[in-house]
Amino acid sequence: METLLLLLLLFPLATAAVNALAGGRLPRRAAEALACAGVLGALAMAAAALILAGRQVFDVTFLSWIRVGGFRAAMSVHYDPLAAVMALMVTFVASLIHLYSVAFMREDEDYRRYFCYLNFFVFAMLVITLADNLLFVYLGWEGVGFCSYALIGFWYRDPANATAGRKAFMLTRIGDVGFGVALALFFYLFQNLSITHINAHAAALSPALATTLALLLLWAAAGKSAQLPLTVWLPDAMRGPTPVSALIHAATMVTAGVYLLMRLFPLVMLSPLALKVIAGVGAVTALYAGLAACVQWDVKKSLAYSTISQVGYMVLAVGAADIVGGMFHLLSHAFFKALLFMAAGVMIQALAEEHNIFKMGNLRRLMPGVALLFLGGSLCLSAFPLLGGFFSKDRILLATFLHPEWSYRLFWGLAALGALLTPFYSMRLYFVAFRERPGGPEAQDLRRTPKLMVWVLWPLVVLALFDGLLNLPGGIGKNFLGHYLAVVPGTRPDLGAPPALEWVMGLGSAGAVVLVTWLTYAYYRRPRRGLRPWLNELLFEAFYLDRLYLAAVVRPCQRLSAFLWRADEGGLDQGLERLALALFRPYRRFAGFLWTKFDELVLDQALVRAAEGLLGVSRGLGFWTTGRVTTYLKMLLLGLTGFLVALALRWYGW
Amino acid sequence: MIVPYSHVLILAGLLFVLGAVCAAARRNLIMILIGVEIMLNAAGLALVGASLRWHELSGQAFVIFIMAVAAAEVSVGLALIVHCQRRTASVDANSYDLMKG
Repeated sequence: METLLLLLLLFPLATAAVNALAGGRLPRRAAEALACAGVLGALAMAAAALILAGRQVFDVTFLSWIRVGGFRAAMSVHYDPLAAVMALMVTFVASLIHLYSVAFMREDEDYRRYFCYLNFFVFAMLVITLADNLLFVYLGWEGVGFCSYALIGFWYRDPANATAGRKAFMLTRIGDVGFGVALALFFYLFQNLSITHINAHAAALSPALATTLALLLLWAAAGKSAQLPLTVWLPDAMRGPTPVSALIHAATMVTAGVYLLMRLFPLVMLSPLALKVIAGVGAVTALYAGLAACVQWDVKKSLAYSTISQVGYMVLAVGAADIVGGMFHLLSHAFFKALLFMAAGVMIQALAEEHNIFKMGNLRRLMPGVALLFLGGSLCLSAFPLLGGFFSKDRILLATFLHPEWSYRLFWGLAALGALLTPFYSMRLYFVAFRERPGGPEAQDLRRTPKLMVWVLWPLVVLALFDGLLNLPGGIGKNFLGHYLAVVPGTRPDLGAPPALEWVMGLGSAGAVVLVTWLTYAYYRRPRRGLRPWLNELLFEAFYLDRLYLAAVVRPCQRLSAFLWRADEGGLDQGLERLALALFRPYRRFAGFLWTKFDELVLDQALVRAAEGLLGVSRGLGFWTTGRVTTYLKMLLLGLTGFLVALALRWYGW
Repeated sequence: MIVPYSHVLILAGLLFVLGAVCAAARRNLIMILIGVEIMLNAAGLALVGASLRWHELSGQAFVIFIMAVAAAEVSVGLALIVHCQRRTASVDANSYDLMKG
């Protein structure tokens, strides 16, 4: 078991290292094969580990990493069913994405860098998935952040792409601050950063501390999982290559935040307030991103907002204390969202980088295979009855509804509203892009895309359509996933809902989804423009959150730095003088003209004198700053001599 | 130990001062680098002597580390000097005063 887990982590890391160091000397095919082999190897290891482990829990320490005083951090792994399922999902989706990338990046010369980052990304994600020590988790957390930055800005020659990469990095970094503070607090409280230790001893915490820690973790998760208020990086992250969007922003990275909350759920669970905040953030994000997804014309952006919305449901599930539901939705979402992204990638490449769905059309006739795949993915995303996302989303809504607190009814309402929007925005993509449109692209406009890009999607669509079987609410396979995860602390395999309520909720949501799907079909039967302009713009800009950040944070910072720069340019004394003037002008007006003389003669002069004095001092100091190495060396030696002389004098007792 | 420790220390001190003078007085960047290296090695010599004097092996281990680090540092320094030489065609330390206040 140790070997399996070690190999699971080392496979992608090793291939990333080989590609980084020796990839240039390998032929292209070999480098690609190596990258794929690394992930496929990890997939084999993950599957073997899952089968061998059953429902057991393994704690393995590979090596002790840091040992300073009382501080211990080991590279250790806590392998429980939750990690097993997650690792299997990550490696599986990543393997398909690697195969897809081989075809997708066939014309890119920089394939080496690409596959190296991609492999390293999988490694970092597996570290987050498996690690027991929170510092080790943090290593993976930062690795994932770095790789997402490098991959979003992969085509860095376009400044907009590089900016999008930086934006993702900065915003997830804001979340990382929360995680860092939480780490320090954990160490202070527990003298130990092991997840198992923390979960076992969390009950001894005072409610206030538990709330603080849980909220810090939520802050970290919001950064990684693009929850409000840190959502804005994910739509921009769509500037990276499409397989990257599928890997990072659909299947794995955005779920890291939710996964962290699930891993530390016994701690989060202790604070009802934090749970309420988590549920609120999830529900509001689900609705907010759903609204924004409704009007996007860029197929990838629409999918990005739908990702934010779906991750919102997972966060809501954690808030409603149902991590089985959260994990279930995480799994089904990973399958259908990776499927949708990769199908969109095929469409975009076939139409010569056309992202606008309103310029697409006719694709069902032109690309029947992709149309079937995309339809499958869209139906799963919209939680069409009996397909993939239906059972998982229903379970989350049910868990929220069953919560005794009244505020959860409100969250349930928000989430249900978001769930009604989901079929609209997902089926809208399908209807607009695939149905007949006069003047749309014709067969001669299409570029050929490799067949491999479509082949790898079939396993995904099968899984996406049928993964509801994992955790049926009734029947033979009732709560299979729930019982499998039961050893994870804090899980509730069965929600204990009255059967009547369960039936009403299920049938109600099924009916609503079918109705909305039909309405969408009817609405988009003819080519349509958008909604009313102001509403359209409000939703398109996602309630201007981006602009708000720009105006409230970025601009003032730029202005301040520009001011400081100017002050610096004008010299220290001028800056001081200007500062003094700026400070004293209102004061002077207030005091009236009686004070003018005193002010001008005494205060201003005093300040000018002070500034002149400072200028003189700085000139004097500047004289010594010759910029020459020899001067500095001489000064250093002089100082050293003086120091040694002083020591010698003390030695001889003078 | 045949050679008394004080002699080793005197030699090391002399070397150190020589290196320091070389680093401070010369203008040639390469000579400055050599002077710094001599100072480092003087410190190493003192350490080896001390480790013999007190029969403590860690002093010698320390010197091996210093040598390894010094080798790495010299390679970086030389690379910088080559870069400077290519940029301004001069290895005179006084011709680099961009940081003048």
